[in-house]
Amino acid sequence: MAAIFTGAPPNSGPGYSFTQTPAPTSASEPRQHAFYPYTDNGGSTLGISSSTFTILAGDTRSTSGYNINTRYAPKLFHIDSADPSSRLVLSVVGFAADGEALAERLDTVVKMYRYQHGKTISVGAAAQRLSHVLYGKRFFPYYVHAILGGLDEEGKGALYSYDPVGSYEREQCRAAGAAASLIMPFLDNQVNYKNQYMAGSGVGHELQQRDPRPLERKEVEELVRDAFTSAVERHIEVGDGLQMMVITKEGVEEVYRELKKD
Amino acid sequence: MTSIGTGYDLSNSVFSPDGRNFQVEYAMKAVENGGTAIGIRCKDGVVLALEKLVTSKLLKPGANKRISTVDRNMGVVSAGLTPDGRHFVSRARDEAAQWRSLYKAPIPTAALANRMGSYVQAYTLYSSVRPFGVTAIIGGWDSEVEVPVDGQVGAGPAVGAGGKKEGEKHGGPYLYMIEPSGLYWGYYGAATGKGRQAAKSELEKLDLAAGNLTLEEGVKEAARIIYVAHEDSKDKEFELEMTWVSSLSGPTKGRHEEVPQKLREEAERLAKKSLEGDDDEDDKPEGEKMEE
Amino acid sequence: MNHLPQAWGRPRDDIYGAYNHAHLAPSHPTTHTQSPIVTGTSVIALKFRGGVVIAADNLASYGSLALHRREAAEKFNDKAVLGFGGDVSDMQYLDRYLNALAIRENYSSGSGAGEKASSTSTDASEEERAESLDNEGAGTGMAANNLHKYLQKLLYRRRSDFNPLWNHILIAGLSSPPPNAPDASPQPFLKSVDLLGTAFGAPSLATGFGAHLAQPILRRVVPDEEAVKKIDEATAVEAIRECMKVLWYRDARSLDRYSLAVVTKEGVRLSEDERVEGQSWEFAEGIRGYGTQVV
Repeated sequence: MAAIFTGAPPNSGPGYSFTQTPAPTSASEPRQHAFYPYTDNGGSTLGISSSTFTILAGDTRSTSGYNINTRYAPKLFHIDSADPSSRLVLSVVGFAADGEALAERLDTVVKMYRYQHGKTISVGAAAQRLSHVLYGKRFFPYYVHAILGGLDEEGKGALYSYDPVGSYEREQCRAAGAAASLIMPFLDNQVNYKNQYMAGSGVGHELQQRDPRPLERKEVEELVRDAFTSAVERHIEVGDGLQMMVITKEGVEEVYRELKKD
Repeated sequence: MTSIGTGYDLSNSVFSPDGRNFQVEYAMKAVENGGTAIGIRCKDGVVLALEKLVTSKLLKPGANKRISTVDRNMGVVSAGLTPDGRHFVSRARDEAAQWRSLYKAPIPTAALANRMGSYVQAYTLYSSVRPFGVTAIIGGWDSEVEVPVDGQVGAGPAVGAGGKKEGEKHGGPYLYMIEPSGLYWGYYGAATGKGRQAAKSELEKLDLAAGNLTLEEGVKEAARIIYVAHEDSKDKEFELEMTWVSSLSGPTKGRHEEVPQKLREEAERLAKKSLEGDDDEDDKPEGEKMEE
Repeated sequence: MNHLPQAWGRPRDDIYGAYNHAHLAPSHPTTHTQSPIVTGTSVIALKFRGGVVIAADNLASYGSLALHRREAAEKFNDKAVLGFGGDVSDMQYLDRYLNALAIRENYSSGSGAGEKASSTSTDASEEERAESLDNEGAGTGMAANNLHKYLQKLLYRRRSDFNPLWNHILIAGLSSPPPNAPDASPQPFLKSVDLLGTAFGAPSLATGFGAHLAQPILRRVVPDEEAVKKIDEATAVEAIRECMKVLWYRDARSLDRYSLAVVTKEGVRLSEDERVEGQSWEFAEGIRGYGTQVV
């Protein structure tokens, strides 16, 4: 996707997720200083859905290269919080300005739906609408990895994850952002019991996978906290604070916990 | 009118054989029915006042202001068709904003009057439009100090900018009145609307040309004159709306603002007292009712 | 005359040659700002109990050339001050733009305005009074948080049009109370927005070189929002002055003259002629070459 822009940065810069501007490859070349409309603000998000709730979480650090912009910049947005029956939360990670713009777009869209139809939008409808919003900017994308959480019509936890141009899928769990590659395998193992087998079920092809079960809220909160405390240790762009939003039929509850600030 | 039925009054941009533009004259009739509006150029500022006729008891007292601010240092009050007055103000604001973006300084009152004069006049030229049904009074204070230029740090360069002469006086109070024909003059005191005759004769008594009247006295005189002008249509209720603009060292610091409530009420009290004659001050309750 | 109307009134090709249309259509696409030209360096700011202090030096650089002095901080109204880093022409554009905005905002803030202005003192200096013709008391409805959101949208829009305003701006001041608590007292507000529309707030902020040199010092003074409530104006101003000194020592594109503004509920105090005081270059004595050299 980065190839859309001819000024796309090379991969040889420092270890950011993607660099600010194309750097000269040798000292003899004149320095090119073109405007590049994206940056990476680091951080990570994750979402886990269960039988009666969905939890979204994100760290609150915002970075520019090796600098910390601030220790508190939320990545989670309660959509249409003015509506008491709203159970939608959007998390965005990547380019923060696009993320905020996307959250505001979705907020408006969801409000308009409520005003025009006289009812709260379903999470499935909101999910598809979000896909369209992202795809609408297919050729100048919102440079974000979005995760939308809510409760479906049956009251079950619903979680949708997106790529920057609107491809989406309903999942049990998803990690996104800088530490996605660190957190996702952990979630695969702990939420969907990947690579966990029934003891004594045999060897080789005989092995039977342990059946996943809906997790309890307490378990999930612990998983989220463990995922982030571990990610903080291994990724410099993750840290400072952990913002969690727990979506249940009672409402959307926000929880904040400190993370290491190093 | 003798002209009616001759056909020369049907289209704008058509003169009658004796050299009159009847559409403009009809526009002035519309002005003559509006509430009285006056402006007084005092030595240290300008006062604008308006007899705002209360057309319905369902209107909130004190709301729906009719005197508008243009840029920061000028006010516009008009008599006649209110929507035409609003459009006039809107255009004046655009002119002031355009001037600022070009010169990075507030538009001088005289320049605004000139531009608005040209604008209003253009509406007497075409058959597709009608003239403005308002006579507008523009009052402003042109800054007596130099405005800082872009990028200026602190007091800026000691010499050069603006090419002003040392010791020369700049700025001051200005007052203009623009009629539906586009005609405008600068005035010491201006009056338009229904009670303009009475108001004008009161203004003439003030000897404004001498330049002795202070702004605070001006406020009191303005209130009194509006009350005097209202005498002929006493059966109708009205609200007194007053704004002022002073020098930079004066009460409004060079900005056009509403006259503070306390001062306005005091001016109204004095106005009513002078109308009653000196016998008693007892009709305060009635006055209060009028003010609501 | 011939039967080709499109040729009527035009020079005849057989006499003058065919018309060369090449210069009518531009041969290159529309281009926008690709890099800043004349620039200002760091802006730094710090929240304290009841207000915010913000500072930026008064130098405008043209690459490595110290070009001229510049306005670095701008008062928007009694509740908000802006500090600009980055391109100076874009800063001046924003200055004019916000000035027009403030005037428009002020049209509608009619009632009650009279009382406010007449209560303020009239014995101000000539410059102060000239300044008052500009933004003071203007757009009193717009608090620092409103202004910040406005600028964020403006800069984000401009980057989306590939025509960025090349600035990193700090907005310091007091925020308007939230809609659910309209009577709450105004809180200190400090947020930044850059040329991409990225916006964030923190107890202390610094742009440009200041993000490397000043921010660590400021974060020791106010590590979090709790700390903000514990420090007073004098401590905050002192920390900012210390940072301006560090920047003057180490930022090659800086100046020892700077602007400093303090916003509290009493209003804005902006001084555009501060100096770096108590300099000592003794630390430079022992430095040889790049610092690793010993002889």
